[in-house]
Amino acid sequence: MEFSLTRSEHKPLQVNPIKHSQPMGATLAFLGVKDCMPLMHGAQGCASYTKVFFTRHFNEPIAINNTSVSDITAVLDGGDYSILMAIENIQNKDKNLKPSMIGLHTTGLTETKGDDVRGVGMHIEIPYVFVNTPDYEGGMESGWALTVTAMIEQLTEAATETKPNKLVFLPHLSMQPIEVEKIKSLCEDFGFETYALPDLSTSLDGYWEAGQGKLANGGITVDQIRDLATSSVVISIGASMKKSALALQKKNPAIEHIHFDHLMGLEGCDNFVSALMKIRHSEPKPMIKRWRSRLQDTMLDSHFLIGTSHFVVTGEPDMLVGICALLRSVGGTVIAAVSTTFSDALHTIEAENVFVGDLEDARRFFDRADMVISNFHAERILHTVENTALVLRGFPNYEELGNQLKNDQLYEGSTYFLFEIANTLRKVKHEH
Amino acid sequence: MVSRAKIKELMNESACSHSKDKKPGEGCDKPKPGLAAGGCAFDGAQISLFPYADAVHLVHGPQTCLGASWETRETKTSYTGRDHTQMGFTTGINTNDVIFGGDKRLDASIDYIMENYRPEAIFVYSTCVTALVGDDIDMTCKKASEKHAVPIVPVHAAGFVGSKNLGSRLAGEAVLEHLIGTKEPEFTTPYDINLIGDYNVTGDMWQYLPIFEKIGLRVLSSMSGDGRVGDIRTAHRAKLNVIVCAKSLITLTRKMQEQYGIPWISVSFYGKRDTTFAIREIVAALGDPALIERAEAVIAEEEAALEEKIAPYKALFAGKKAVLNTGGNKAWSIASGLQDLGIEVVATSVAKSTQDDIDKAREYLGENGVLMKKPAAEQGKIIDSTGAHILLAGGRSLYTAIKKKISFIDVNQEKKTSYGGYGGLLNLAEDLKYAFRNPVFANVGKPAPWEVG
Repeated sequence: MEFSLTRSEHKPLQVNPIKHSQPMGATLAFLGVKDCMPLMHGAQGCASYTKVFFTRHFNEPIAINNTSVSDITAVLDGGDYSILMAIENIQNKDKNLKPSMIGLHTTGLTETKGDDVRGVGMHIEIPYVFVNTPDYEGGMESGWALTVTAMIEQLTEAATETKPNKLVFLPHLSMQPIEVEKIKSLCEDFGFETYALPDLSTSLDGYWEAGQGKLANGGITVDQIRDLATSSVVISIGASMKKSALALQKKNPAIEHIHFDHLMGLEGCDNFVSALMKIRHSEPKPMIKRWRSRLQDTMLDSHFLIGTSHFVVTGEPDMLVGICALLRSVGGTVIAAVSTTFSDALHTIEAENVFVGDLEDARRFFDRADMVISNFHAERILHTVENTALVLRGFPNYEELGNQLKNDQLYEGSTYFLFEIANTLRKVKHEH
Repeated sequence: MVSRAKIKELMNESACSHSKDKKPGEGCDKPKPGLAAGGCAFDGAQISLFPYADAVHLVHGPQTCLGASWETRETKTSYTGRDHTQMGFTTGINTNDVIFGGDKRLDASIDYIMENYRPEAIFVYSTCVTALVGDDIDMTCKKASEKHAVPIVPVHAAGFVGSKNLGSRLAGEAVLEHLIGTKEPEFTTPYDINLIGDYNVTGDMWQYLPIFEKIGLRVLSSMSGDGRVGDIRTAHRAKLNVIVCAKSLITLTRKMQEQYGIPWISVSFYGKRDTTFAIREIVAALGDPALIERAEAVIAEEEAALEEKIAPYKALFAGKKAVLNTGGNKAWSIASGLQDLGIEVVATSVAKSTQDDIDKAREYLGENGVLMKKPAAEQGKIIDSTGAHILLAGGRSLYTAIKKKISFIDVNQEKKTSYGGYGGLLNLAEDLKYAFRNPVFANVGKPAPWEVG
């Protein structure tokens, strides 16, 4: 079978899928808003699966509620009943629960029946953001991006003035909490008052605290989202986030928009740092420079192992773009980059094969690969393949611990990533 | 399409223990918006059927249903062919299918699977969206079944029809309607049984199947742990249905009794006493004196061997007290296992238990045991008043253990080892040994340097 990068599917089904749904991306985005109550509008199973999925990936309690649409309400209700009843029932059950916001996201079921989720908002006193995320369209990455856009469009207040050193960046779905934190801290080092939307760095970052997660327990606040249009700069990271940045610019055309497809590797990170330098007219702190030279050294140390190796990489488009660029920068050969969904950014990937597919498709390349970089589901399949190593990245990673603290971004993260790849490669390349 | 009459019938299962407390026609609870947690009917159906490793399980729906659920359960199989249990197949419908119907895609997907994987059967699961747009799954499956000459079974358990439990019942309906009684076994014995409701998670069944073999019991078919589609088709020839810890498939066994005259019993294999009790129940139901005699001999032998192995643990656990906070039948089944190891269970949760489970918990814990109705609020106080040494609960209770500086086992976490049968008790004992020894729950809660006055 020939694989090429197109929007149309090459077979009628998915076998061992890597793709995940839009509503799940929406849930995760809402979890990056402090005290938000993500409310999934669908049958109870969608939310139950989503809860287990993220609980196992992050090893954290996941706050999510659902409207439990039944076969009867699916036909008779326009959404008002189940959404309003859900909010009332949740609040009656726990009077102390004070959500800062309801994050309503739809599913295939409620999109098919065509609920008016915008209209329902009129009857809700708590701040309410809705987003249409049918799971028969797009994927987890687009669900996350649509949710960020919805929060900006529905919450952020239009402004005309900007604060000169206020910056907001919009991370793509696949960035883990520590990665958001590292980017935030780099921007803060440049003297920016920095916000991330959403901000998982203080929400699912694996810190220990008493109590249980009935609401998102960290993240950017609703007031901070309202006030985002006073930023002087919005930075979108990942092609999926461009539209969200444009939505913010609509709230205030004076905001400067800077876009990066990814922040991995020397070039990706240099672009980012030089953009910040240009705005602030200042140099980065010594530690940043130090990490850059460590990355340079690591590239040289690892280039032989990686440069003689073949890779299969699977995942969400924005993550794929970054990982493949970093591997290429030290000579790695990507024989297949398999994406969950279509994105124009995939055209920028330098690989022998770039296409939208599943693990059945990816498997065709495993025998030729020294390493597969994929999610949890590749592990069992690789048991039948000799001398192909595995590094786990992307959602879900059910079994490994510490996913929230895996950092692949900027000079520092890229350095550790290259070491991990090279050291794991050593096990299959030299020890047999 | 599943009819409302069928759902009503399943929700009013007369063999359900709680049905006697309800008004006629009231049936099981429907999910309430905002309050329903746990899986949907589709989830339940998939859990009940997925262990058939020789069949492909094709989910006809959008991405969430399968994308977030495949390869999440450690249901072991001894099937030597390709293990489809740990694979995911979905039609992953798109907008076009929602508008124009997904029948063609489903049909092409079945062809693709038959061409590339040649399974013994295909289960096709409808989901909310494909049920709502009205895809004619029954017709597609019927035609494909004729074309490919293997059973292609439609499973009508769209998530919105109800809870996980209802979905298991609907899976039972699909099996009864399309598979059971469609094939004759090669031979039969007077000791043929069907195992219903054990999914062989972490290999639970393999803890007790060797004992069955010693006694001379034959498992004709299983629904569905380590099961084969070919075997379940012959299930109508069994002499007894044995339900293992699963209330949801009572409807199936009741109907099999009505249609094929097969009696059923319900047992559990957690802990020594339950395992022994279960074996006795099974052989008593079959009623053959020689079988009963063999069973007693095997029980005596196994129990003696087990006693010897658990003696060192009993010495280690002497005087230890446990508080148990978990749901359903685990409220008493794990309690029973703990007691077998010489640990005193001072309290257990009955927050989500049926009356049967509550009665059983009372029986196991005795008069002085506390049956907690609001475990989250009660367990801390009970640990203080009884001096309990360990809390076995879900992850949410971890903080209680840390605050009280006692040991903790997360009983709701995905298990990696089996606690079933006689052998499983040793696995539980090992886990307990390490839990009692682990100082982490006392260490982790130490005040930070800046908190010390």
